Amino acid sequence: MRLYVLHKTYYRYPSPVRESFNELRLQPLSNDWQHCESCFVSVLPTAQMRQYLDLNGNLVHHFEIPYEHSKLIIESRSTILTQKRVDFDNFPYGVSLQSLREVEGQPECRPYLQTSQFIDINPEAWRMAVDVRADSQDVFQTAYQIMEFIYLNYEYCVSTTTVETHANEVLQSKRGVCQDFAHAAIALCRCLGIPARYVSGYFYDATRDQSMRGAGASHAWLEVMVNGYGWFGLDPTNNRVVDENYVILGSGRDYTDVAPVTGTYFGPSPESLQVSVEVKRLDD
Amino acid sequence: MLSRVADNLYWMNRYVERAEGVTRLVEVKRDTNLEAEAKGDKRDYWRSALQAMCASEGAQEEDLNDPESFILFSKRWSSSVINSINQARENARMVRDQLSEEIWVELNNLYLFLNSPDAQQTYLQDSSKFFRRVIRFSLVFQGLSDATVHQDEGWLFMSLGKYLERADQTSRALDTLTLLGNEPTRLDLIGVLRICSAQSAYRKRYRGDLNLRNVADFLLFSQDFPRSLRFAIRRIDSNLHDISGVPAGNFSNEAERLTGSVLAQLNFSGIDAMLETGLHESIDDLQKKLIEVGQSIFETYVLLPFEIKNASVPPVVQSQMQQQ
Amino acid sequence: MQNELFTSYETDVFFDEMFGSDGIAPLDHYRSILNRLKSLEPTQIEEKQKQADSSFLEHGVTFTVYGDDEGTERIFPFDLIPRVIPDKEWQKVEQGLRQRILALNLFLNDVYHDGKIMAEGVVPEEVVKSSAHYRQEMVGFDVPRDIFVHICGTDLIRDETGRYLVLEDNARCPSGASYLLENREIMKKTFPGTYQAMSVRSVEAYPELLLRSLEFLSPRQSQKPVCVLLTPGVYNSAYFEHTFLARQMGIEIVEGKDLIAIDGHVYMRTTHGLVQVDVIYRRLDDAFLDPLFFEEDSLLGVSGLMDAYLKGNVALANGIGTGVVDDKVTYAYVPEMIRFYLGQDPILEQVPTYLCWNDQDRDYVLNNLSELVVKSANESGGYGMLVGSASTKKEREEFAQMIQASPRDYIAQPIISLSRHPTFCENGIEGRHVDLRPFILYGEDIEIVPGGLTRVALKKGSLVVNSSQGGGSKDTWVLKD
Repeated sequence: MRLYVLHKTYYRYPSPVRESFNELRLQPLSNDWQHCESCFVSVLPTAQMRQYLDLNGNLVHHFEIPYEHSKLIIESRSTILTQKRVDFDNFPYGVSLQSLREVEGQPECRPYLQTSQFIDINPEAWRMAVDVRADSQDVFQTAYQIMEFIYLNYEYCVSTTTVETHANEVLQSKRGVCQDFAHAAIALCRCLGIPARYVSGYFYDATRDQSMRGAGASHAWLEVMVNGYGWFGLDPTNNRVVDENYVILGSGRDYTDVAPVTGTYFGPSPESLQVSVEVKRLDD
Repeated sequence: MLSRVADNLYWMNRYVERAEGVTRLVEVKRDTNLEAEAKGDKRDYWRSALQAMCASEGAQEEDLNDPESFILFSKRWSSSVINSINQARENARMVRDQLSEEIWVELNNLYLFLNSPDAQQTYLQDSSKFFRRVIRFSLVFQGLSDATVHQDEGWLFMSLGKYLERADQTSRALDTLTLLGNEPTRLDLIGVLRICSAQSAYRKRYRGDLNLRNVADFLLFSQDFPRSLRFAIRRIDSNLHDISGVPAGNFSNEAERLTGSVLAQLNFSGIDAMLETGLHESIDDLQKKLIEVGQSIFETYVLLPFEIKNASVPPVVQSQMQQQ
Repeated sequence: MQNELFTSYETDVFFDEMFGSDGIAPLDHYRSILNRLKSLEPTQIEEKQKQADSSFLEHGVTFTVYGDDEGTERIFPFDLIPRVIPDKEWQKVEQGLRQRILALNLFLNDVYHDGKIMAEGVVPEEVVKSSAHYRQEMVGFDVPRDIFVHICGTDLIRDETGRYLVLEDNARCPSGASYLLENREIMKKTFPGTYQAMSVRSVEAYPELLLRSLEFLSPRQSQKPVCVLLTPGVYNSAYFEHTFLARQMGIEIVEGKDLIAIDGHVYMRTTHGLVQVDVIYRRLDDAFLDPLFFEEDSLLGVSGLMDAYLKGNVALANGIGTGVVDDKVTYAYVPEMIRFYLGQDPILEQVPTYLCWNDQDRDYVLNNLSELVVKSANESGGYGMLVGSASTKKEREEFAQMIQASPRDYIAQPIISLSRHPTFCENGIEGRHVDLRPFILYGEDIEIVPGGLTRVALKKGSLVVNSSQGGGSKDTWVLKD
């Protein structure tokens, strides 16, 4: 599937700000499931753009605007070719939770089994995870149950949480947006020893009535490692296994590693922040 | 709609109507001349025709030797058929986006024809074929205006142009009779009726009773003949009211007021009163009023003097220099 | 049954759009149309060409030639053999164009604001400020939606290996989109079966996309924006295009005298009084827009328009001052702009350019005039050009003098062997040089209708494709994957 994504972020400041330093993670990855054909990231006021790869292998755009400015517009336009990545008739069942012991020491999995900035492994979370697991001994089955549990029991509502809401809080309050749902699901997975990572990206809503959540903004979900099969994406916001409708921007331990836009500047906080994401299918 | 566009549509139709009127006049005068010459009548029919069309002033000696070519093809006289069609097309070209494709194609085809050597050739070989082509074009053009153009404001301006010009043409055709210098003959009267395509309609109304009074009565006062002055003025009146949205009988601008007064004159006076004042004088007076109507339409809808007077003038940038 | 049309066809040393660089077998994406052409009787082809020509003339699809009294309107010669571009090839071009317009637009924003790219020494400040189309009045002004170039026609050529190269950007008032649309209409009628069988991507959305880009700029978003197309008038060479586009978009086509600026707002005169205008799609160069600001004796513009524009009460597309990027000296720096603003390498390459303004380059140019094309930095339409290989000694001497007199105004490029395309000529089908002008629209997002206008130099051996210099056009078929 060829998808086109236009992601616009518009900050307006009440009075001019200066010395703005920013990092953007807005360029989709190229991996086995998707190929980023092109990606253009532009900012206004104009700035010199630099690129580098971070520790998680995500592409970062970096820019600075030393002069005074009262608005900042960040636009990213990407064209991505996505591949069919799961066989819906043939999920990777049959890998036991026990067998995960074999991978827990591998550098590919280790960071995704531990506590990170927004995700804790603690007794409360563990207790909840064990309840959700019930008598399942299967990795994919368990992860799927966790996704379903969150989808069914958590309330999707905007403006009840912020970008800095911790997974513990979400597990308590049982509400939030896709970022929170992903954090909560990751926490439960990690408690059970399932390597789970946070994925930021976009999502093409192919439903006729546009009933899926998270399509109008940048989306987030999680990926779990199924020993011997690799990483599988699960979207607890929509109760869906991640397929070719999803575009991956990057992955990391949690939101901190892959935040689409982060930066600092001198000046008052933004008067307004507008974000719009449009995902179009090109090969219809 | 844009004032300029309204103006272009109005003139496009005026010029098409004019081309038709002038062509009819040439066609008929040519026949009349031939018949008169055959009878040994030596009067100069062309002189009165040129005079009625206000063309005699611009005409030069060589033009008077071949008045037909002058009226049809002269580039010097602004109302020659070729100039009328060129100007109609020029106006159409400026508002092509408002016209149906069919209208444009018809008009453009005639334009291409008239400006090609084919036109002169056809005219020399078979003049009636040439006349028919121009007249037929005008009729097709009118049909297409009614059948393919959205009948909105633009159409109303087209209609205004058509009827104002038609009123003018009919009055001029009638005027040729007063400019002959003698009592019109039967041939002259039939000629004028033919110019106005009014032969059969007239016959129905007056049977064989052919005289100047009846012809003038019919062409000026007929209620339902589409080329009579009264008919045309009534259309102009209703078009103007449709444009402004003001109920009939009232007026909101000078064009409406003037049209209303001309219409009242035609509604409430009669042919005998006119003959008393003098037919030529009466026609002259009507023509002057028609010109005023045209002028006031232009001022009301195109110049917008009132609107602009009421808007403040933008500051003008002054350039200044310092001497050293 | 096969006709003899292609039996004596020669590709010479050029890259041939239909037969590639080796010139032996037709490229895959040309097979269907080639078979169709071969199946036609020569008389049928002639008939089709005649139909197409008369259809253009009847519909008034014409352009005006200056200084020619009688036949002031001519049809833009049209060739029946379409240029075909496979999907993969087009995708790369499209990405390259998107990248380019983003960079050009960022550059213009930068030039009229902080000038970072000049401060960093990437583009010399004197190049920008000395450009004929640089507009001091625009410094510090935030154009509506921060977009300067809403409609860009970027000319592409292909070299002897078939590589696409950018030849120039037309960021002022590029024309030709109407021919692109009309050519398609004609081709659909001429080869309906082949058109359908080859699954050609449609271009008909152009007017709608254009209108949306214009409406996006409106300062009054609360209501349906009033957009108009401002034309220099019926005698302009592109007037047909202006009416065509206005009609397709359903907006008014206005002349300067239809507009009036009062108290920093622009109105049009209508039969129901004055109506406020939000967006002007102007097909008039900067210099003619407002006699108070620019050319004092211009009758085409609107006094007070600039005042309204700078107050933000009316939007103009394209913005004012975009001509800086049309400048062929600025052109030389576009790859650097892409690297600077987007942090990536250009997707489309461009023709290497020697800047006579630079001492070293100038020496090279003067010593190698016969192997170069010398171009005036701010002329378009194929004027002010010296093709070294086809020039006389006298012409070269003249150009050498002009270059030395005003080096900033000249650039030179190696002579590129433009690709050729089979084209109907007097003696059957022969190869003629072609270029490609895609139209890029920049509104809420960047939109490019697939393909563009393929222009063809009808004179044998000529490299100049401009309509004013004996060029014609072809329909361009981008195929679906």
